[in-house]
Amino acid sequence: MARPSFFGLLLIAPALAMIGALFLYPLGYSLAAAFTDPQGGLSLVNFGKAYEFYSTDILFTLFIVITSTLLTGLVSIAIAGILTLGETPWLVAALRALYRWPLFIPFIVAAQCMRTFLAKNGLMNNTFVALGIMEPIQATSLLDWRGIIITFVWKQVPFVTLMLAGAMASIDRATIEAGRNLGASRLRVLVEIVLPQVAQTLLVGLVLSFVTMLSVLSVPLMVAGSQPTMLTVDMAFRINSYGDYATANALGVISYAIAGTVAWIYLRHSVKREVQA
Amino acid sequence: MRKGLLAAGLAALLTSGAANAQTLNVATAGDQNMVDYIKDYLGPLFEKKHPGVKVVAVGTGPGDGGSQKIYEKLDAQKKAGAPSDFDVVVVHQKAAGTMVKEELLKKYRDQIPTGSLVTRETATNALGTDVSGYVMPMFHSQTAIAYNPDLVKNPPNSYPELREWVRKNPKQFGYNGIKGGMSGVAFVAGWVAAFGGDAAKLEKGPYDPAAKATWDKAMADLKEFNQNVVITPGNAGTLDMLNRGEIAMGPVWVDMFYTWKAEGKLPPTMRLKLVTPGMPGQPMYYAIPAKTAQEKLAAEFIALATSPDVQAEGIVKRFNWYPGIDAKNLEGKLDQAAWKQLFSDIPPETLAANGKPFPIGPYFNDILEAYERKVAN
Repeated sequence: MARPSFFGLLLIAPALAMIGALFLYPLGYSLAAAFTDPQGGLSLVNFGKAYEFYSTDILFTLFIVITSTLLTGLVSIAIAGILTLGETPWLVAALRALYRWPLFIPFIVAAQCMRTFLAKNGLMNNTFVALGIMEPIQATSLLDWRGIIITFVWKQVPFVTLMLAGAMASIDRATIEAGRNLGASRLRVLVEIVLPQVAQTLLVGLVLSFVTMLSVLSVPLMVAGSQPTMLTVDMAFRINSYGDYATANALGVISYAIAGTVAWIYLRHSVKREVQA
Repeated sequence: MRKGLLAAGLAALLTSGAANAQTLNVATAGDQNMVDYIKDYLGPLFEKKHPGVKVVAVGTGPGDGGSQKIYEKLDAQKKAGAPSDFDVVVVHQKAAGTMVKEELLKKYRDQIPTGSLVTRETATNALGTDVSGYVMPMFHSQTAIAYNPDLVKNPPNSYPELREWVRKNPKQFGYNGIKGGMSGVAFVAGWVAAFGGDAAKLEKGPYDPAAKATWDKAMADLKEFNQNVVITPGNAGTLDMLNRGEIAMGPVWVDMFYTWKAEGKLPPTMRLKLVTPGMPGQPMYYAIPAKTAQEKLAAEFIALATSPDVQAEGIVKRFNWYPGIDAKNLEGKLDQAAWKQLFSDIPPETLAANGKPFPIGPYFNDILEAYERKVAN
């Protein structure tokens, strides 16, 4: 292995300094603050408080983010599959034109739209009632955990689909055609031929979505009430109402741990592939 | 800070420029509407009655942070031994308490004619600090239960009746918990005052860290109560759901409620009810810094601002706030429509009896933490 040259180090120094100052230092600081008690000693007291106050919210956050990630995966596979294997030109064209739109809408705007769309007497239910599909008495509000999941999936599907459809477009068409010629249905081709070839891309897209959804504050804040709610809302509340950075940092560390687990799964998977290659 | 210096410089310039003209500097915490209120309404009114006087209004920003800035400036000027360049300050409860403790304010209330028109507890007690004589309430914001009379014919009169009502009508009452804005916080504080034992102690102190243990039953009941309510997203979320008919009742800020109604965002049939033993509200205070050169003028300004006429026209009619002085002094000063709007649902006697202050600081934090530990989790 070549020795790192001095100029090489100099070249990456600005980038390193940036990561150090804007990422590593704040990360280290919040980690340290999370494990420090009011007297300045090392302790787990902040985690005790975080657990005592927010254990339900930790589980709720995990449930929301995992469910949203799985649904995002399913919907993205369906859309990317139609884009790749679809045989109805107008449907493929319409889908291709439409699916990217939510990418350009910020979470907070999406949340605001969902607030009026999914409400008990909101746009969606009113439309169903007007169409005669539903009686007014059957209308229920979706502005709870379901609203958060719907908003997350709606917002993240285009992102994952974009990556997935690109990957599907670049695989060898001959494999697909071979399968079709031998009489496999399109669903079977998608599941047994196309998906295994793009699994790596799908995993990357889902891991990134998972981490993004874990960090969104506006959607749980606006779409659903506060009991239970996601960890981001609890962190904002600890800081805004009490200036209690210690407990907020402890909740932050719990979030890192959740995101870290997912990153670890992803890294292990890609290292295995590299070793195989 | 810079803005403050600039204002001070400007004030100095104005004073020296016209020897016989006087300038009254009014610093106000709060949103832009507070500055507008003084600049567009109260200032010109005062200038008309005092020819040669100019009123300059300076805003220091919303919330307790705005009051904190006024405090810091007065504190710095006191330490430097300089006269303060604010003549009248408008601050929140927390900062008023600190300023009185550190002797930054003048005791003036007994010297002005409107001083005796104030009846509410908050004129003497700011979250546990005795401020009597040092402040005059400018207005009160109040929380109350809003309800839809099409769905609720006989609204509950008290917290126990409300609890019973919710048991019989599940998912018809909504509030925003404690993380989504102060109307939910006020509802919870009212709950603890109603069911948690010694309500007077919560308002006046002294603080006893053991008191929170006596709330266990009230918190357990609130958890059970929450099974049958809708948790709404925020102060506006409660109003939204009332508007769409998704809930029939919920706690709201009264001024917000009337403003929404006036803007057509709530049906005109909606009503309010201030239940017993009471729900919290909060005032903003007029005060005079201890070292102002314009002591007499400042007192006259506050006397005008708290006179029944100004309270009726400015505070009630234009901004939908409750008056700082006892509401019964306003009878006859308001035209019938404005009077009806503000006082038909909550008559002045009810407001005086059931409009409570928020608990003192340490109890307030204990209530919120007890809620998170015992009710929300």
